[in-house]
Amino acid sequence: MSVDQELVERVQAGDKKAFDLLVMKYQQRIVHVITGFVHDPVEALDVAQEAFIKAYRAIPNFRGDSAFYTWLYRIAINTAKNYLTAAARRPPTMDVDASDATNFYDAPELKEFETPETSLMTAELEQAIHQVIQALPEDTATAIKLREFEGMSYEEIAQAMDCPIGTVRSRIFRAREAIDNRVSEMINQGEQQ
Amino acid sequence: MTINQHELLSALVDGELQGDELEQALLLLDSDEQLRAQFQRYQYSSDVMHGNNYQHSHIDLTKGIAQALVSEQTFTKQGLIKHKAALLAFPKQFWTQAASLAMAASVGALAVVGITSQSQNQFIATSAVVASAAANNTGNGNRWTVGEPEIEDRLNTYLVDHNEYAGASGVFSYARLVSYEAGQ
Repeated sequence: MSVDQELVERVQAGDKKAFDLLVMKYQQRIVHVITGFVHDPVEALDVAQEAFIKAYRAIPNFRGDSAFYTWLYRIAINTAKNYLTAAARRPPTMDVDASDATNFYDAPELKEFETPETSLMTAELEQAIHQVIQALPEDTATAIKLREFEGMSYEEIAQAMDCPIGTVRSRIFRAREAIDNRVSEMINQGEQQ
Repeated sequence: MTINQHELLSALVDGELQGDELEQALLLLDSDEQLRAQFQRYQYSSDVMHGNNYQHSHIDLTKGIAQALVSEQTFTKQGLIKHKAALLAFPKQFWTQAASLAMAASVGALAVVGITSQSQNQFIATSAVVASAAANNTGNGNRWTVGEPEIEDRLNTYLVDHNEYAGASGVFSYARLVSYEAGQ
């Protein structure tokens, strides 16, 4: 069972903390998807919040036929479209496939809404992250690359690197700490400017 | 905050926590603001590595949503079972229609059985008439073309004895009629 599915089952059994974690996990993606429809950033945040509340109310109906994010994504799109209709604004005719929504580089429709500033920021972040990874010890760098770029599970990485799962977990954590230090610096710099 | 706690959050970002560890992570995130911020930064970095491009690096909708959810009902396992049962349950109108349909089907079935039974009776009656006619045609009461009373008696006895083995109704009715003596 995936973590998302376990979290959903916990919400269905009355654990609101589990829903809080789902919000933390997906809020960035959902706001980004909604910004593709509702261009005003403040309005987009309101619509995203409404989408999450709708998702909470509908969660007893979620049966796990699709991934939780795909289900949430559809709710977000519908909420954004309804918002535009209610505000007497025409919803965009374009639509984005739910599977594309997991990776925006594969969703050109959403890329149209990127600003030069966000593209630059993302490019700088990516570059900084790659520099951090290159500076890591080889085992640590390999573990994070296999996880983040190859999408392998801890078990698969442990088999590939011929080491225990616990070692994989701590290597990935060390890599993530190093990346986080650099990302935090950049975010703080961005906020000060 | 300990290294183990951070490691736990890192594994949570990767979707590698289950059961007790997931419970522990949920409790930590619920009680420690710094860990919440840490988790969101881990998640953000991971999303960037996956190629996602965000306008906002520090969005936090969780407080607003948590406030809004205070007034929302908390689901329970029992409530969920009831909810699922309600989803599976048929509407009242369905049962009314089903009862009407069942009644109509029963009437239809009775009609079919009645017609079949009537046809069968007609067949038996027809057989009786034919047999009776055949018996009359013999004139002298001989049902066999054997011409020897002993053999005729033996054949009659044979038919009477084996009547119980009749494979289908109506077959031996005819046989009886042609084989029984008038007095039997």
